[in-house]
Amino acid sequence: MAGIGFEIRKILRRDSYLSMFSAYAYAGIIGSGPWVLSILGVLVIGMMSLGMVIPHILITQFQVTVTHLIAMSLILTGFLQLGFTRYIADRLFEKKTDAILPNFIGAIFITTLLAGILGLLLSFIAFPRQNAIYRILLIANFVVLCNMWIATIFLSGMKNYKAILILYTAGYTIAVLAALLLRKFGLNGLLLGILLGHFTLFSGMLLLILRSYPSNRFIEFDFLRKNRMFLSLIWTGFFFNLGIWIDKYIFWYAPSTGQSVIGIFHASLIYDLPIFLAYLSIIPGMAVFLVRMETDFVEYYQKFYDAVRDGGTLDRIEEMRDEMVGTARQGIFEIIKIQAMAVLLVFVAAPALLRLAGISQYYISLLYVDVVAAGLQVVFLGIMNVLFYLDKRIIALVLTGSFAGLNLLLSLLSIRLGANWYGYGFAVALLVTVVVGLYWLDRKMAILEYETFMLQK
Amino acid sequence: MNFPRAGQADIALLLEGTFPYVRGGVSSWIFQMINAYPEYQFAVVFLGSRPQDYGDIKYIFPDNLVHVEAHYLHGAHTAPLVQAQYGDAASLEHIATLHQIFRNPNSDTRCAFAHSAHLLKTGEIDEKFFLYSRQAWQFITQNYRKYCTDPSFIDYFWTIRAMHEPIWVMADIAANLIPVRAFHTVSTGYAGFLGTLLKDRTGKPMILSEHGIYTKERRIDLYQSAWIRDNRNVFEKDPTEVSYFRELWMRFYTSLGRLCYQHADIITALYEANRQRQITDGAPAERTRIIPNGIDLARFQPVRARRPDLPPPILCLIGRIVSIKDVKTFIRTMRTVVNRMPEAEGWIAGPEDEDPGYAEECHNLVASLGLTEKVKFLGFQKVEVILEQIGLVVLSSISEALPLVLLEGFAAGVPALTTDVGSCRQLIYGLEPEDRALGEAGAVVRIADPQAMAAAAIELLRPENWLPARDAAIARVERYYTQTIMFHEFKQVYEEALKVT
Repeated sequence: MAGIGFEIRKILRRDSYLSMFSAYAYAGIIGSGPWVLSILGVLVIGMMSLGMVIPHILITQFQVTVTHLIAMSLILTGFLQLGFTRYIADRLFEKKTDAILPNFIGAIFITTLLAGILGLLLSFIAFPRQNAIYRILLIANFVVLCNMWIATIFLSGMKNYKAILILYTAGYTIAVLAALLLRKFGLNGLLLGILLGHFTLFSGMLLLILRSYPSNRFIEFDFLRKNRMFLSLIWTGFFFNLGIWIDKYIFWYAPSTGQSVIGIFHASLIYDLPIFLAYLSIIPGMAVFLVRMETDFVEYYQKFYDAVRDGGTLDRIEEMRDEMVGTARQGIFEIIKIQAMAVLLVFVAAPALLRLAGISQYYISLLYVDVVAAGLQVVFLGIMNVLFYLDKRIIALVLTGSFAGLNLLLSLLSIRLGANWYGYGFAVALLVTVVVGLYWLDRKMAILEYETFMLQK
Repeated sequence: MNFPRAGQADIALLLEGTFPYVRGGVSSWIFQMINAYPEYQFAVVFLGSRPQDYGDIKYIFPDNLVHVEAHYLHGAHTAPLVQAQYGDAASLEHIATLHQIFRNPNSDTRCAFAHSAHLLKTGEIDEKFFLYSRQAWQFITQNYRKYCTDPSFIDYFWTIRAMHEPIWVMADIAANLIPVRAFHTVSTGYAGFLGTLLKDRTGKPMILSEHGIYTKERRIDLYQSAWIRDNRNVFEKDPTEVSYFRELWMRFYTSLGRLCYQHADIITALYEANRQRQITDGAPAERTRIIPNGIDLARFQPVRARRPDLPPPILCLIGRIVSIKDVKTFIRTMRTVVNRMPEAEGWIAGPEDEDPGYAEECHNLVASLGLTEKVKFLGFQKVEVILEQIGLVVLSSISEALPLVLLEGFAAGVPALTTDVGSCRQLIYGLEPEDRALGEAGAVVRIADPQAMAAAAIELLRPENWLPARDAAIARVERYYTQTIMFHEFKQVYEEALKVT
């Protein structure tokens, strides 16, 4: 009696877990840290040029130009930020390290091409009254910024935070110093200064990447082929960056709140300063977030999947799940606590600070709202990060998409409602997204084992 | 290979891993049976593990084999698209009841099975429910907590999935099979389960004819297989206790067996010990009967004349080279035999393709015992040709039912030397007094005892022992184990079954 040969070993596809929960480099998240640094750099350069660059409007023009370039470059590269980092993480997981460099160069190539075309169009159409040097600097700054975000996201995806920190410090030191030296050339001097800084920064990162991931191929576009990047991540990255900037655009270009500063670039006197000041308050929250996520959460995340893969008991699996939920919850709570402290500090100190800085008390209520909103933005980042670890890409997409949509609608509404409501659009959009996100996270965590075992693809 | 197709047939044979892809005793028997009843139209449903595990068709299809289909339980089946769902709690209740009944060895499965089979038929419980529903997940985790003594949840989870995967394949087969008047399954196990499903679906009678005892063979397989994981650590492990997953698989096959026994209308066994075993495993005694295998005397009688008068010192193992035949013991036996009888030879006649790994080990053993000149691997051979030339048929198996080769050898005038398994003792020494009076047609030794086997072989090959053994062999096979007797008995079985419809 022959019977059916036992070949269940092949059915026990234990290894499919590995491919599914491929070492997950989360992306984008850290990317929002560096641009806060960039805004800071721009503010510092502006402040140091006060009284030296005359007329004063040139400083504003410089700040507005760079802010717009940062916003545009982040939104444009948003398409690649998450999708490409995940693509790289998957290749690393497959141990195809020789595919990393050529595709990174490919991404840089595409970015340069698109940013170059866009910058060229912009410089031709949008600034009829500026000279050729300004236009060239505009294009160059835009291209370098775009590439800088790609490289930053790449390195943060590889968890190379130390290198990012050192390079950003060096880059902005050079930017500030160069701007100081070149400020006698006015607007163009300042732009050249920051270009030098960013260029150094990008070159440093490029060098690091070239050395870290050697390959015998120089360039390829495998990541652009169908199904190589997750479509959901591509759009999530875009919506995330769009969501963060859309309220600013609305205030820049609404007739009642914004005005033209240089060519097509507008600014909003009333909206910009409070929000950029508020972003400074999230730096401690970001630090806590990074530490919590990268140490405690990741530790239990790994223990959870180890327990799943390596034959842990169901109790052990659930215990690790609970620990993971616990650390995620604790991490988010700590962000909230730190941000709450920051908010309280701002509430107490704001009138005095504004008086000291010579800024009108008129801004104060907007500043309060913005500080709360910026704090919520850090919580939002925390939620997104956990979602990426759990590979809940669709939820991440829905959240970022609705964040962008809500921010658009509510900001428009706030302008209609009048000055007392400014800032509430951004804050309420974030609040809703965060609450929905937390609720969703809670539900997904509760059925994590079920989804892990039963619904794996 | 194009299989014959028909719109209907009289009897559907449900075959697991045998005819027409694998040669062997059971496959030959099936071939013989189909040929014996040209008045019936047969359909064959072959169940295999994976398509790549089988080579070509090994038999020419008789004309009355009008419909053949082959299905594979693993590998060929793709799971439905992943789709999260809640699942119906009430349906799960029925499944839970059925599992509870499986756990209780003395209870009747029929009522609970009918409920579950109904859910399967209506699609209320489908593969998606099993694979993706929250209900199923809860059920699996509950049972893990309640029963599983092995710590590894992932192994438990995949074991459960692997066990249930074939159900959906078989539900599909059952739903699409051509109409027939009766089902005849030649084992319990998966084929028996298919028979149970079909009987439940169509109400047509099911005949179960067991050659070996499926669950017993599975037990041997399970103990030999290294792939079943045991994740208990040194402190958790009680060496007297088998791994939980082994036990789980064992219970799975036992339950399949019980389902089949309780649903079958007529159950045949080859000999009394097996019938008793079937009853112990759940078969109602009144539905069981014994029909021993029979052989075609006419095929082997002429061989006697072509054989030398005195026994050639050639021992031959006729059978597939697989571990259950314990070919290694035969090879070790040959070492001792050749030491004392340098002119002796050992032949191994049988296909090696079923378990190439084991076959290779056998080749290596021959080489390492220095028997390359003395032990010959002949591959698949025509039995008559072999029987013409040899002195003894040897069976070193650790498990057998009623081996045809012994009967064939007897009919050709070749006595046998076997291990004490299955019906071998009955075939060689006789059963009731009348039968025993015919004499000893060879010798029986313990399993896995090459020394004893070699000693018995040397004794048997002496002409003064060999000649009476030959006469007893011929007398016994002609009296009790002919095809004519067997066909007559099965004719009655088929008539009874078909009469019901």
